[in-house]
Amino acid sequence: MASAHSDAQVSETAEDRGWLTGDLVFFCLACTAVTVFAGLIQVSFGAFTMTIEQAWRAVFNPQVVFNLNAWEAFMFGTELPEMNRRSLIVWNIRLPRVFVAAIVGASLAVSGAIFQAVTRNELASPYVLGVSSGAGLTVLLTLVVFPSVTVAIPLLFGTFTFNTTSLLPLLAALGGTIAFLLVYGIAWKGGTSPVRLVLAGVIVNMVFQSLQRGLFFFADDLGVVQSALAWITGSLTGTGWEQVRLAIIPATIAILLAVAGARQLNVLLLGERTAQSLGMRVERVRFMLSGVAILAASTAIAVAGIIGFFGLVVPHVVRIVLGSDYRRLVIGCVFAGPALLVVADVGARLALSPVQIPVGVVTGVVGGPYFLYLMRKQESMGDL
Amino acid sequence: MAQRDASHESDHDRITDTNDVAVESAVVADELQLSYPSSDETIVDVARLDVPEGAVTALVGPNGSGKSTLLKGLSNHLAPDHGDVRLWGESVDSFGDKALARALGVLSQENESPGTITVEDLAYHGRYPHRGFFESVTDADREAVERALEMAGVEHLRNSEVGQLSGGQKQLAWIAMVLAQETDVLLLDEPTTFLDLHNQFKVLETVRQLNERTEVTVAVVLHDVAQAARFADYLIALRDGQLYDWGPPEDVVTEQLLADVFGVEATVEYEPELQVLPRRALPDDRN
Repeated sequence: MASAHSDAQVSETAEDRGWLTGDLVFFCLACTAVTVFAGLIQVSFGAFTMTIEQAWRAVFNPQVVFNLNAWEAFMFGTELPEMNRRSLIVWNIRLPRVFVAAIVGASLAVSGAIFQAVTRNELASPYVLGVSSGAGLTVLLTLVVFPSVTVAIPLLFGTFTFNTTSLLPLLAALGGTIAFLLVYGIAWKGGTSPVRLVLAGVIVNMVFQSLQRGLFFFADDLGVVQSALAWITGSLTGTGWEQVRLAIIPATIAILLAVAGARQLNVLLLGERTAQSLGMRVERVRFMLSGVAILAASTAIAVAGIIGFFGLVVPHVVRIVLGSDYRRLVIGCVFAGPALLVVADVGARLALSPVQIPVGVVTGVVGGPYFLYLMRKQESMGDL
Repeated sequence: MAQRDASHESDHDRITDTNDVAVESAVVADELQLSYPSSDETIVDVARLDVPEGAVTALVGPNGSGKSTLLKGLSNHLAPDHGDVRLWGESVDSFGDKALARALGVLSQENESPGTITVEDLAYHGRYPHRGFFESVTDADREAVERALEMAGVEHLRNSEVGQLSGGQKQLAWIAMVLAQETDVLLLDEPTTFLDLHNQFKVLETVRQLNERTEVTVAVVLHDVAQAARFADYLIALRDGQLYDWGPPEDVVTEQLLADVFGVEATVEYEPELQVLPRRALPDDRN
């Protein structure tokens, strides 16, 4: 009873303070509707032809939706239970890709929003502190220098063997994290500042990208180059439940932390000195929030590669609708990110069917002009 | 005006001013030396500096005399090379970050905020040190914000966006934020510098009223010595990072001070009230 009382008070307070408003709820519902609709389109078309009705019936097939064994298989990779062919294709091939897109979209949008506040720079993207170039370089190193090296680690019972290519997502995330720490190290001089962080990011990005380009010259196989390019432009082709399993936990953690840290982000936007005089440990908060954003960004990179432009644009789109209060902005990003990336991936997969293009190409080609349109239309575009 | 009732005993730091009136100090700097990490040059070097409790103290001095640096040192934004700063007898280092922010509010010279934030939301940020990480707004927060908006005289602007306000209104909105912090000591760094005359008075009157109503201790950096002389209970005059003089304005503000510290020739009149009439700049090589 006590808790019910306090809950009621909390929601009342939130409304009193005017951030949990009707337009935020409406925005989130609209984004969810777009996500669901685009997802349904995505599962309805493909190489295996079925009618829209058949596809949707497969999506809502109660034998799968309410089947614990099926969910166990999706979530933990156990044996799939018996299901009809259409359900199998929808549930095992097409739908997980939608989920991956949603997770990646939310992660990138939230990550971009955090970095825009941490660096107090409206042009910041999830990749501003070096994650993308660090991840890209590791991917190229893995593909070009150690292609498909099988590492065997002898254990007490048998040997543990793995292939470097199968570790690509984790290596990419690791490379991204190392680059981020490097950037922080370069920027640190008795403390950091937004400008120094951005500059250090530019430096590390430049060096790593040059190394990356250099490595392309050592790739002697077109296949290697293509798969490296797919990584660097960002692609959801071939993603499945394995990627959902890989990404869902870190993405959820990062998003929850971002929502919880929204007020800290608001205070950071008031400037370093004000934040400090309000009793915030600015360096610590900044590093931890950057860490959250890096977690989100490297999760996205690990499953989808480096999807450009997305994490920069989505927070701006949300800001135009919902304003710059981060309590609203972060929640808006959690809903708008999935909607926009699922839509973009529909384009990437179906526009030039049967050829699939990397979704990063779509976000760049469509997102760029759209951003330009917003910029021309909005007087105060870019204001944090 | 400077005579304060110092009869009740307490363990606060005490000092006597030039009229031998005992003064209790809210903030004391002892053997304080300040410099910036990027250079070895000592910017501020004062043997002892007092901010008397419950009074308005103005820090005056020419550009580059270390006023803002001193304020950073007093608010623990800049770690001293030597000496310490005490708040009611306790070193500011011994306060936690948030505890210090509940005791001592600071307003910087220039403040930037997202243009779309409302005045009310800005004031709510002043409650930051009073709230835990997951705590939501309490009644105490709401009351504090209401009081702050009222005292700063920006109630009617509560839903206006800060970016749309005039310079004076913006400064008052920021003052509302510091007031919502509900501190016993306020340090204000040149709150009037970029304002027109009307708004300068408005800001200073707000601070004055606040001091009278809540007995808050105020230390304010002002670069206009004439204004400071009329407005403050005590003056602290700084020259080249060192304390030149300290005390009630009638004692501190002299023609000698204006020549030594500010490098201007001026007439100072004490009747009917303290008035500073600057005449001309003295040659730079007078030393």
